[in-house]
Amino acid sequence: MKKTLRIICYVLVVLICNLPLLATIATSLKTPAQISASPPLLFFKPTLANYAEVLTSPSLHFGTYLRNSFGLALLGTLFSILLALPAAYGMVRHGVGKKFLLPFVTNLRTFPLIIFAIPFYFMFQSVGLLDTVLGLAILSCLINLPLALVVLLSFFQDLPIELEEAAFVDGASTFQTMRMIILPLATTVLASVSVLSFIYAWNEFLFGLILTTKVATPVTVGATFFITSFGIRWGQTAAAITLSILPPMFIGVLSFRYLTKALLSGAIKG
Amino acid sequence: MTSSMTRYRKYLFIAPLALFLLITLGYPLVTNIIYSFSDVTFRTIRSPRLIGIQHYKEVLTSPAFWGSFWFSAKFAIVATFFEVLLGLGLAIALAPLLERYKILLTFIMLPLMIAPVLMGIMYRLLLNEFVGPISQIMQMFGIYVSLLNPPWIVGTLVTIEILQWTPFAFLIIFSGLQSISGDVIEAARIDGASEWGVFWYITIPALLPNISIAAFVRFVDSFRVFDHIYVLTGGGPGRMTTSLSIFIYKSFFQQEQIGTAVAAAMVLLIVFLIPLIFSMRQITRK
Repeated sequence: MKKTLRIICYVLVVLICNLPLLATIATSLKTPAQISASPPLLFFKPTLANYAEVLTSPSLHFGTYLRNSFGLALLGTLFSILLALPAAYGMVRHGVGKKFLLPFVTNLRTFPLIIFAIPFYFMFQSVGLLDTVLGLAILSCLINLPLALVVLLSFFQDLPIELEEAAFVDGASTFQTMRMIILPLATTVLASVSVLSFIYAWNEFLFGLILTTKVATPVTVGATFFITSFGIRWGQTAAAITLSILPPMFIGVLSFRYLTKALLSGAIKG
Repeated sequence: MTSSMTRYRKYLFIAPLALFLLITLGYPLVTNIIYSFSDVTFRTIRSPRLIGIQHYKEVLTSPAFWGSFWFSAKFAIVATFFEVLLGLGLAIALAPLLERYKILLTFIMLPLMIAPVLMGIMYRLLLNEFVGPISQIMQMFGIYVSLLNPPWIVGTLVTIEILQWTPFAFLIIFSGLQSISGDVIEAARIDGASEWGVFWYITIPALLPNISIAAFVRFVDSFRVFDHIYVLTGGGPGRMTTSLSIFIYKSFFQQEQIGTAVAAAMVLLIVFLIPLIFSMRQITRK
């Protein structure tokens, strides 16, 4: 009996939390007439016309927005790993940067970067990074660093030092040890850092809004154009939102098991 | 291996990170300070003229600034309170089910993967008076109110925040719950503790670190709320839903008052330095 109650509670929570998602996916598959039907249709013949329109219409530029988001999320993830990996190694194995750098970076997690939005704007303008994917990637790297550092740090802490010592005895350099011993062992942890960084970078909105005008616009900003420009066409808006949500959700669900551990260590130590 | 390494070579590991942060945070900090004491417009940005504390005076005496400051504070307090309370309740109610079927966690976590700005647009669809399922259902019951207009709008915005981020609080509290040893609870039961006694004297104290982490992270995150408010109300009507982030954004982009925006940002920085220094101390102590 208690179990039935729990299941009912679970289903209710999932339905309420995911109602926007379900309604949006349903709307994206409807014709304009079906969308405005009252009461809302639970069963209808789905159409992909909205998706075709969003992806092929040259005036909507949605393909470009998707490409930009992929670009900035991948680059931002790569940058944050390249910076955090040696730093985490140095902190654990050589004890450098533990006093100030580590607590400083972990606390960046709670720092509202909007404070620096205006200098970022002028800084990017003067070095030609305004409205570029590279510029946004640099900022998403900054946003992802705390998580990447904390997760990689706990990976190195759990990694027995004997493995590296054995490699050193055999005459390997630091770089070789890194490449041949550590990286192969770090694939899982690197994957979860990448997935989380990708999701954060993909979902970021504020800096996309401030630092792009038309060339490097990411999907989060692009999706808002649907409701601000021409009288809202809900079918297409819903299709655009669904397309924008799918990539992070897809990789998030696939790697869910590893994700929660990384997410927790990022949140708890940060 | 440390012996073979010269004293300074080990700093090479953290050098790239330190350099990156120095450029991306140090430079903006310095410019922020200069701009906040200068008379700057988009045209004179290269040659700011120092004018002293005028911008700070303006900001600190501006009802618009304080309105947005208190909006953010209240928004964050209410959202955090409900997220933690609901997260705790859900964790306790669903733990036996979710510990057995881990896969079920996925569906509760889905909102965490959605961009808040897109969540905002989705609610705009849900609450639209002609096509929105929520409005249509309310109308079927004879309720003709728009949740996107006053007096409902503030409540709607907070509710959206709560619905999206309760899973986060839940996840952190749930993980704490899993690490409580069953033996302790068993022992307490044998000593005659009631269900309520176990909850109040064992579960809650054991969960306290996780509860406070969830509350801290959610509070600072909701204090800087921007995305879904931007697409749902743009800070209006009037200044009713202008959060501090929206205030800074609007002063800069729409009113082109760079000095005001930067001074407001500096006030926000000073406010955030207090918990920042405190929690940095905590981490260093560990």
